Amino acid sequence: MAALKTVVYLLVYPGLIFLFVYSTFAEWFDRKVYARLQNRMGPTHTGRFGLLQPIADFVKLLSKEDIVPDRADKKLFSALPVVGLAVVITAGLLLPVWYFDGSATAMVSFPGDIIILLYLLSVPTLICFLAAWSSTNVFSTIGGTRVLTMLFGYEVPLFMSVLSPAILANSWQLSDIAHFYQHKPLLLLPNLIGFVVALICVQAKLERTPFDIPHAETEIVGGTFTEYSGKKLGFFRLMTDIEMVVSSGLLATVFLGGFPGGLWLGLLNYVVKTLFIIFLLSAMRAMTSRIRVDQVVNFAWKYLAPLAVLQLLIVILVKGLLL
Amino acid sequence: MKFQIPIGPQHPALKEPISLRMTVEGEVIRDVDIRLGYNHRGLEKLAEQRNWTQNIYLTERICGICSHSHTTCYVQGVEKLMEIEPPRRGVYIRYLVSELERIHSHLLWLGIAGHEAGFDSFFMYTWRDREVVMDLLEMISGNRVHYAMNTIGGVRRDVDTALIQKILDGIKILRERSEFYFKIGANEPTFVGRLAGVGYLSKENALALCAVGPTARASGVARDVRKNDPHAFYDEMPFDLITADSCDVLGRTVVRIKELMESYKICEHLLKTLPSGDIAVKAPKKAKPNEFVSRYEAPRGENIHYIKSNGTDKPERLKVRAPTLANYPATIEMLRNGFIADIPLIFAAIDPCICCAERTVELVNARSGEESVVRFSDLRTLAAKRASNRTAKGNVPWPL
Amino acid sequence: MRVAVFLPELLRHLFKKPNTVDYPFKKLEVPAGFRGTPFLHPDICIACRACERDCPAEAIVITQVSDVEKKFRLEIHNDRCVHCAQCVDSCPTTPKAMEMDHLFELADFDRHNLKKDWTYVRAMPKKEPKPAAPAAGPAQG
Repeated sequence: MAALKTVVYLLVYPGLIFLFVYSTFAEWFDRKVYARLQNRMGPTHTGRFGLLQPIADFVKLLSKEDIVPDRADKKLFSALPVVGLAVVITAGLLLPVWYFDGSATAMVSFPGDIIILLYLLSVPTLICFLAAWSSTNVFSTIGGTRVLTMLFGYEVPLFMSVLSPAILANSWQLSDIAHFYQHKPLLLLPNLIGFVVALICVQAKLERTPFDIPHAETEIVGGTFTEYSGKKLGFFRLMTDIEMVVSSGLLATVFLGGFPGGLWLGLLNYVVKTLFIIFLLSAMRAMTSRIRVDQVVNFAWKYLAPLAVLQLLIVILVKGLLL
Repeated sequence: MKFQIPIGPQHPALKEPISLRMTVEGEVIRDVDIRLGYNHRGLEKLAEQRNWTQNIYLTERICGICSHSHTTCYVQGVEKLMEIEPPRRGVYIRYLVSELERIHSHLLWLGIAGHEAGFDSFFMYTWRDREVVMDLLEMISGNRVHYAMNTIGGVRRDVDTALIQKILDGIKILRERSEFYFKIGANEPTFVGRLAGVGYLSKENALALCAVGPTARASGVARDVRKNDPHAFYDEMPFDLITADSCDVLGRTVVRIKELMESYKICEHLLKTLPSGDIAVKAPKKAKPNEFVSRYEAPRGENIHYIKSNGTDKPERLKVRAPTLANYPATIEMLRNGFIADIPLIFAAIDPCICCAERTVELVNARSGEESVVRFSDLRTLAAKRASNRTAKGNVPWPL
Repeated sequence: MRVAVFLPELLRHLFKKPNTVDYPFKKLEVPAGFRGTPFLHPDICIACRACERDCPAEAIVITQVSDVEKKFRLEIHNDRCVHCAQCVDSCPTTPKAMEMDHLFELADFDRHNLKKDWTYVRAMPKKEPKPAAPAAGPAQG
């Protein structure tokens, strides 16, 4: 019985099918907001309001021919998309949105799970680099080096800014952090600088404008994904979408106070808060142009890292004064 | 360690096929090898087999964006060969369409610059406003591109007062939007960070490598055919020659946006002082044997057509030198010591119209890979031999 | 250099209607002078072959069907036509025998469906002298 329940949780909700459906909905929302900001229509005709468009894109990619280049490392090349997808889905299981036993708030929850979540979200970047490396294409190699160069820029500010509210809440467990902020909502305000820094770093992690340098279409064709086609490319795109949902879930937990309210209200809370964060990410995407990779590292170390350190100092001050 | 990256012939940064082989060391470009010829259509040969009127439409189709400038350059030359002078009203309408085409081309370029830099919102906005100009041109000429307004001796269609008022309203809207784009282009930090300091071309290099158009004007070279060698009433138009001193892609952007404002001024002057009268004179069928070099300022630079007639109703020789062809050596200089990430922007900053510039053919032996350039006189002998076996025009067996 | 100088304009567009026309469910009207495809008024045509001579794409083909009746067949190959309207300008009759219509949705799977033809007895050319240089300016001596 317990084994059957676990299988249902893993496959249906909160696991595979829920994340798949919700991430395609999030991609639709992102594309629609991006289009409306640019005074055009976005997906309109596939399904009502174009809601089925991302699923249609995924199905189309699954049906295309799958080409593996001659000199590429075939085992690594084929295994990477599946591994990437598995990693982000596992990361999704750690978010405190699943209410099943009344008290526990995540499917898997233990002290230190915020660090595990951040680590699991860094693995897709390394998988992108390995994908670029195993493709043996000039454009992919350049894309791969750019991915790693960007990693040196945004990873440290992201960690520092996400861990500051955890320090204020005195715990490394996501459900405890959410619980803390639900009882003391005013303490969300000192974390505002960290919120802005974390938003910019998440935009860089997801490789969206202004940081979509590794797969810059007009410069290096497809970047890391140049040689991928068919099913493998479909899985990579799904991995990016689910990464977006999980990262915004992480930001919503830590900075916006989690998802209280039991099963259905908590789900509604989760949807509203993540859509708010995705709206901010889309507005950032529409507002800026792509910058060069040396300018990313420059910007990250000159502005983002000092702001994250400032956030840490504020948190330590508040903790000392109020608690 | 140097290795070669092929940009093109198929590449998302390029709208047309051209092969740029970059020798890079890390992220820095050391050398560029440009190969042309992927878009060669044999237009100069085709022009020798069509009469003067049909050639208007042939030269129009050299390019889609600067179509009217090719037609105007050609028709100016043929009118001089036939020794006829178009009436004033016809010339005013011709220049009105030229300036509207310059507006449409510069707005298109702004969108392309935004797209190459990754600034897609800017691209969508400028192209949305370009629709205003396209609709105006459709009302004047009947088509959105390939306006076909010129005929030998004047223009084919007239503008009436209702249309003049619509054009003036459209220009007012466009003027506000262009000022907004100027504000964005100069102030958005991520965009300026991409454009500033990129693609440096000093003034001495611009003069030595014969750069033309906004590429040269952004390096401080004050060269514009409309001012230096004005043809028929351009010296009466009130506009300034725009130059910039920053010698980089940001300078070229600023020059183009300011040229937009000057074009609005010229259009309004033309419309307000439009003289009455005929719009065309009758042109003869044949031209006396003579030759003429016709120059014209296309949106991309100086366009040169050399036309030679031999007394029949077909030209003896038509040679086209498009502005992009003159900018290629300057591009090689600009790309040296730049970053790979800047390649699309530097190349897009010269506003490449590759199909305008396809006048050379380089033969590559498919088996041995060796390349040779064929002499023009050899090509003419081969073509003449083939043409003498050809049946008369009109009875050529079409496949369908 | 101001951060987020584009943002107010972007957010204002969230509340405006999109600029896209939802083609093919909604269509725009083409303006009056639009150059669509050429078609013939056979009762006015005098079969002078001026349009055939001046067409840059060899899209008009005139053949004489019967000599005794002066019957001609004019075929327009719309798949070769470049929509320049030079045939309309070259036509010497008043009112003009060639005219452009406003069709632009011409796509077809078979190029032979795009060819139109008329078989007619030609009209007699008018005896009075042609009007000198009408305002539309035909490019013909």
